[in-house]
Order: sequence, then structure tokens, then C-alpha cells
Amino acid sequence: MRRRGRLLAAALASAAAVVAIAVSAASGQEESGKPLTLTVALTQDLDSANPTVGVTVAAYEFWNLQYATLTDKAAKDFAPIPGLAASWTASPDKRTWTYKLRPNLKWSDGQPLTSEDVAYTINRARREEWLNYSQTVANVTATAPDPRTVVLKSSVNDPKLPVMDVYILPKHVWSKYDKDAIGKFDGVTKVGSGPYTLDRVQKGQFWTLDANPSYWKGKPRINRVVFRKFNNGDAMVAALRRGQVDAVENVPSTAFLQLQKQKGDITTLQGQQGGFDEFAMNGGAGLKRPHPALLDRRVRIAIAHAIDKKTIVNRVLRGLGTPADTISPSANSAWMPKLAPNQRYDFNLNEAKQILDQAGYKDTNGDGIREMPGGGRPLRLRYAIRSESPDSAPTAEFITGWLKDIGIATTEKTYSDSQLTEVIGKGDYDLFVWGWTPFVDPDPMMSYFTCDQVSQDPKNPTNYYNDANWCDKTYSADYKLQNKELDPAKRKAIVQRMLTRFYESATYVPLYYSADLQAYRNDRYTGWIRQPAETGPVLFSNSSPSYANLRPIPAASSSGGGGGGGGSGTIIAIGIAAVAVLGGIALWMMRRSSAEDRE
Amino acid sequence: MSARFVTGKVLGSLATLFFVICFNFFLFRVVEGDPVASLFRGRNLTVAQREQLTKQFGLDGSTGEQFLHYLQQTAHLNLGRSYSTNQPVAKEIADKAGPTIALVGISTLLSTVFGVLIGVVAAWRRRTKADYAATTFTMATYSMPDFWLGMLLLSLFAVTLGWFPVGGIEDASSNGTGVGHVVDQAKHLFLPCLTLTLAYLGEYALVMRSSLLDTMREDYLVLARAKGMRDVVVRNRHAVPNALLPVVTLIAINFGFVLSGAIAVETIFSWPGLGLATYDALNGPDLPMLQGLFLVFSAAVIVCNLGADLLYAYLDPRVRAA
Repeated sequence: MRRRGRLLAAALASAAAVVAIAVSAASGQEESGKPLTLTVALTQDLDSANPTVGVTVAAYEFWNLQYATLTDKAAKDFAPIPGLAASWTASPDKRTWTYKLRPNLKWSDGQPLTSEDVAYTINRARREEWLNYSQTVANVTATAPDPRTVVLKSSVNDPKLPVMDVYILPKHVWSKYDKDAIGKFDGVTKVGSGPYTLDRVQKGQFWTLDANPSYWKGKPRINRVVFRKFNNGDAMVAALRRGQVDAVENVPSTAFLQLQKQKGDITTLQGQQGGFDEFAMNGGAGLKRPHPALLDRRVRIAIAHAIDKKTIVNRVLRGLGTPADTISPSANSAWMPKLAPNQRYDFNLNEAKQILDQAGYKDTNGDGIREMPGGGRPLRLRYAIRSESPDSAPTAEFITGWLKDIGIATTEKTYSDSQLTEVIGKGDYDLFVWGWTPFVDPDPMMSYFTCDQVSQDPKNPTNYYNDANWCDKTYSADYKLQNKELDPAKRKAIVQRMLTRFYESATYVPLYYSADLQAYRNDRYTGWIRQPAETGPVLFSNSSPSYANLRPIPAASSSGGGGGGGGSGTIIAIGIAAVAVLGGIALWMMRRSSAEDRE
Repeated sequence: MSARFVTGKVLGSLATLFFVICFNFFLFRVVEGDPVASLFRGRNLTVAQREQLTKQFGLDGSTGEQFLHYLQQTAHLNLGRSYSTNQPVAKEIADKAGPTIALVGISTLLSTVFGVLIGVVAAWRRRTKADYAATTFTMATYSMPDFWLGMLLLSLFAVTLGWFPVGGIEDASSNGTGVGHVVDQAKHLFLPCLTLTLAYLGEYALVMRSSLLDTMREDYLVLARAKGMRDVVVRNRHAVPNALLPVVTLIAINFGFVLSGAIAVETIFSWPGLGLATYDALNGPDLPMLQGLFLVFSAAVIVCNLGADLLYAYLDPRVRAA
């Protein structure tokens, strides 16, 4: 028996040694010969590589790299600049636009990229109402009179033209999928026209892209881009610190503040692209009426005066955001009006109380809560908190406190986003805080608050966007005007008028413009571009110009293609040996008693 | 074991499975809401596009119609399509089952082997330093929440020391073949596997210890010693096999949780298995994916419980006689 035990121990030790040597050797081989790689960490998955289906920000970033668009957007201010099209001209009525493609355009598989591909994409997207295309191509018909010319005809006055920022797809790949099949296609194809094209997708883990040698601006200097998905934001930041990744998107605020203090080889930035959060009050035009006091604009204005946006930004967001004025309808802040001091509803509890007193909302029974004019129903409002937003409950704590100070009570109830969408659609609410992220063109955001978007269908209450349930005929008429105004300056003036009017209604109290928290290593690559200039993010921006512009800093090494643990082979070997030793000790302890017994 | 006993157990399991299938459907619909509106908020969809998506998601009929459709689909082993990826749920689950089986399977094996060994040593050398050390260690790991233990290991070995990758299953630069790939995956597997092994080891060790202590009081062990048998033979042939009975049952039942047991650990280490898929699906909410995952998890528990019942009956004739 003793002999058998010794043999077992020897076998375990030998096995551990063999594995240890193999592991060390194999991991040593891994360290050499890696291409120049940019590794970007994020917490979101690529839901689909198919631009007719996917919706996540991660997917848009991928498409920005894989597929070029007819017109590109300037990094500075989103102005239309040449993309696949080198130039364009308009007909006198500006309904027909003729684009001239660059010469010798090619797909990454070497096939020529022609006007046929452009016309195919635009026409098919319009006919089949592709999800991410329809708002751009809904009224546009494309023709391809010759391989380098695309003619777009719009059936309406479309102020968005000449911008045509939809991803042009290779006809020779996508025409294999009919209307039914295209929605089920995962979009995993290596054929693209952008700076990088897909190499590999490992769902839930990473997706890698290789530099496209056929890219019209020339092959990018970084050979490879890797997107790594993390579920744990702190682990993601740790990977950045250790140099396993080069940049991170959506940094948790606590980690961001720590990184900000450290400086050194990591640069942090708060990228703003127009995202905002608002405190919404039910304007009463929907399927159900809110508390009657909210139908009185004076009450809404008093409530707006009772909200201290600076405190919310500083205490809830830890300073990572900017107090808001009007809603932001575009990623480009140039669309927003400047409010005059007498138009603003700044934080002032005394003014709020005074407005309510003058309007006749007084606390007649001395319980601290005001009643409707002439007594009767107290001002007790329903406040919906979003369970899926970590900021929702703390924001509610502040706001309900201020409302209490001015004599308005609240009853809080927590909802999932899916539930709250339904509740809002039915008009069955008084107050909530939620947010929006606008497109570059202001039209979609402006459309959400028209009368047409107020839910009037009890069977499908969620088919509408107007979550303020606010209907203003002047605003809605202005919306139609801006929708066909082709003079950019005049259109801007209309949009600003609409935004001011919406602000003055006090149905929406914009709280803050939110920031996309990003960080990147500044010791490896240079050439990061913010979009828009100075305030925007460097990655996950509207057209993602950074990637093709990055170049390595001399003598810096790449992240190692996605973050392995340096020298961990030896450690694993030690781990395996430790397991073997532990097992051996346990066996020895078991045998020791029997040995004593035998002696 | 009689055929009647086995048939009864199998039929009982099938009935439970059917109940779970029905329950799953309603469980995720208790909370009202419109997944289309929630998932596509701010996307500026037309009413026609919304209606198309509602139809595509199978949410266009009444709840009764949706339920019947769901039963028909499930009977054909069709679990629907994921809302977020638009791919078949069955395929998504099959793709993610491998990493979970590897992670939880290996850690269950390790925790079982080491847990039983520690339990045997602690019981056989009771009230010695070895026993106190083993019991303290196993109590500590048993009572430690796995997500917390995972965070500790992650921050120590991956962040501070940098010995292991901070997450994922493989390095993006891995070529996907050969020894290098296996080693790469082993590096990624190490920390989540260690976390789960430590988290479950304590339970096996404590149950084994207590079971063996009970067995050690039995008369037949006194008799075995009286017959002159060596202590190791008494332990290995008479004590341990009898004491293993509750541990075997525990292992069989725990195997049912192999597929679902690592939601927290998979999330912390970004391990792309079924646990992480559950976490992601809950965030959606991706109803077809949740239904599919819960069905698979429940079926695994039911099958393993059935296995435990039959195994227990096979090992202990008193059970099937009862």
C-alpha cells in the first residue's frame, strides 16, 4: 500500500511538471508576432452585424468602420463632407441631387463599388422599410445612370439632403437574401468599404476587424481593431490600467473620477453628443388626464423653479454632466437657442411658492400640502421611478424633497422601462425622469413632441413618442415648417423657436446633458478625434473618425490584441502544481492514520 | 428497483416539466409592458415598423393566442427568436452551453473531489488541528458569497498582480486552434473556476464530515476493528462508502444547477455562458431568451433530481422499499 501511495504521488508530481512545462512553453510562444492592434473595451454587445436589424451603439460603431456612406460628416460639426461621393450638385428645386463617386472604389473583396450598389441599398431600404434607414430614405428614389453617378430624387422638400448617411451595402453579397431572409441574416460578412472590415465575431466576448487595404482614404495605420465586451465596468477599467486594452467606453462614474485624478498615461474625457435627461410632467393631452393642477401652466412653472439642476448634477452625477436649458434636439449643440434670463426657470423655491400662492394653490388645512384653488383635492402627484436607471431613485429623492418644500406631495412608484413605456402611453402618470439621445438632424427629436405623437389609441398606446402628452398647435405647425424648409438658417430659427416654446410650456424640465465617459491610453496611439470638436467623445461618436486617423507613438507597443495575462502560463503551472500538492497532502493525511495504525 | 417505481418517478418529472413550461410563459408576462416600445425608444420608428416588430416578436395576438403558439413552438423544440439578436434561441443557448458546462462542470468536479477528501480527513482526524483548520477553511468559503469571492480574486490576481486576464474566455489574438488556444482558454478559465470551486467545496466537505462522523458511531465499524482490520481499510471500505450516500445525492442534485449556477460568477468574469446570457436577457428584457434559458435550467434540475432519486434508490434499498 505504501508503495502504491508513493507511486501515486510521483505520478501526480510528474503530471504537474509536464503540464507546467507545456503551459509555460505554449504561453511563451503566444507573446510574439502580433499585429499593431487597438483594443477597445465596452460593456455592450454587438447585437447584430446586420445594419438593417441591429440597434446598439456597439453595432453602430462597427458599421461605421465596416461600411462607408455616400456623404460623410465633419468631425468638427457634422457638416456634410465627401464620403464615397467626391462631390454633388442639386437641381434648382433641390429635390434632385446628383452625386459623383470617387474613381476606382472597391469593396474589401476586390469587387468594384459602383453607383449600382448605392442605388440598390437606398431603393431596397425604402421599399422594405429597413429599421435604421427608413427615416433617411423614406422619400428618396435612387438611380445609377453610370457606374460613378448616383441620382437621388426626393418626393418632398427634404432639408436633410444632400446628407445621405446610410451604410451602403455590397449588392453582390446582400442580394442573396430576400426580404424575409435579410432580417434573419446575422450580417457576419467580411465584405465592406470602410476603414476596417470584420474578421471574427465571438458573441458576447469580442469582435475583431482588420484594416481594409481597399479603403478609399488608404489602408489605416493600425492593422487591427478589437472590441472586447466586459460585463464588469471595474474590470474593464482595470484592463485599461494594466494596458490590456487601449480605450474604454462607458466608464463607471466612480472609476472615472479616480482615473481623472491620476492623470499620467490615461486620458479621460466626457463626451457630449446631445443626450439629455428630463423631468417630465403629464401635459394632459393623452388618453388619461393627470392631476388637474398639472394642466395649469403656472403650477408646472412653479415646479420647474423648484428643481435645482446643479445639485442633481453635482450630487447624483458627481459632477459628470452639465445642467440643461432646453432639450437638445441634435448631437450638434448649435441647434439649441440661448434663453434670455427672464425666460429661464432657475432654481428658486421662494419664487415657486409665490407663483403657487398667487395662482390660488394654498394649504388650507395646515397639513403642509397645498390644495386646489378653493380647497379640495390636495396637490399629491404620482412620481414614476425607473428601476433600470441607477440615477432615477436618488434624483427622485432630491426632487420630491424640493416639491415637499413648496407644498406639493408625491407618491413614488417604481417601474421597469418596459412598464413605464406602457404607463406613459396610457397617460396614467403625473411625473417621471427619463432621457433621450438625439440624432444629428433635429427632425426626429422635434417630431416627438408634436400633437400627432400623443397617444390616442387605447389598443396600441405605445405606438407614439410624445411622452409629455403635450399638444401645442403652434409647435406642431412649426414642426411641419422646419420639415420642409431648405434654407439652413431659416430652419434653425424655426427649430429654436419651437425649442423655446416647449421650454416655456414647462411640461419638460430638462435636467442635464449627459456625458459619455471615456478613457484611453495616451502612451500608445495618437490622433484621437473628438466629434463634435472639443465637447464630443473620441469613440462611439456619430461617424467614428478616430480609428482611421490613429497612428502609433514611436517605441510604444500595442495592447497585445485583447488582453491576455502577461506571464500567466507560469502561474497556471504553479496553480496546477499547487492543486496536485493539495491532493497529495490530502491523500497523505488520509494515509498517515493508516500508517500509524499499522505501526 | 421495480418498473413501477421508475415509471412513477419519470411521470412525476414529466408533469413537473410541463408545469414549468406553462409557468415560464406567464412568469415573464406578470409585469405588463411593451418590449417593442422599450427596446426601440427614440428610434423614430413608423407605426408600420412598430407593428411589424410586434408581429415579428410574436406579441400581436391575445395572451391566450400567444400561449398556444408558445406551446406549439416548444413542442417542436422551437424556442423562438431572441429579441436582441434576432437569432434562434435554441442556437443561442446551444452556443453558450459549452462554456458553462466547461466552467461549472470542472469546478463541480474539483470541488467534489477536494470537498470529499477534506471532509474525510476532517472527520477521521476529528478534534485535531487538521480538523479545526479544515472546518474553519470550509466554513469560510461556504459562507462567502460567490460574487464577492470572485471580485476579490479578480482584483488580486487579475488587477493587482496581473497574472490572469480580467475576463472573457479567450484572447482576441488567439488563432482559435492548437495548444496555444487551449492554454489561452485555461488562463481565462482559471479564476472563475477557482471561485466556483472554493464556493462549493465547503458544502461538500461539511456534509461529508458530518455524514462520516455519524457513520463512525455505527456498530459495524467497531466490529470491523474488532476483527482486526486496519484503520484505513475500515475507513475506505466500510465508513466512507456508507457516509458518501448523502454526498452523492447532493452532487446529483447540484449537477442540475450546473447550467444555471454561475450567473454571478459568469457576469463578473464576463464568461460567455448561460449565466451571462441570463443576465443580458434580463436587461432587455429578451422574453424568448429568458423563457428558453429558464426552460433549460428547469429541465436540467428536473432530470438531475430524477437521476438522484433513482441513484439513491439503487444505492439504498430502504428508499425503494418505502
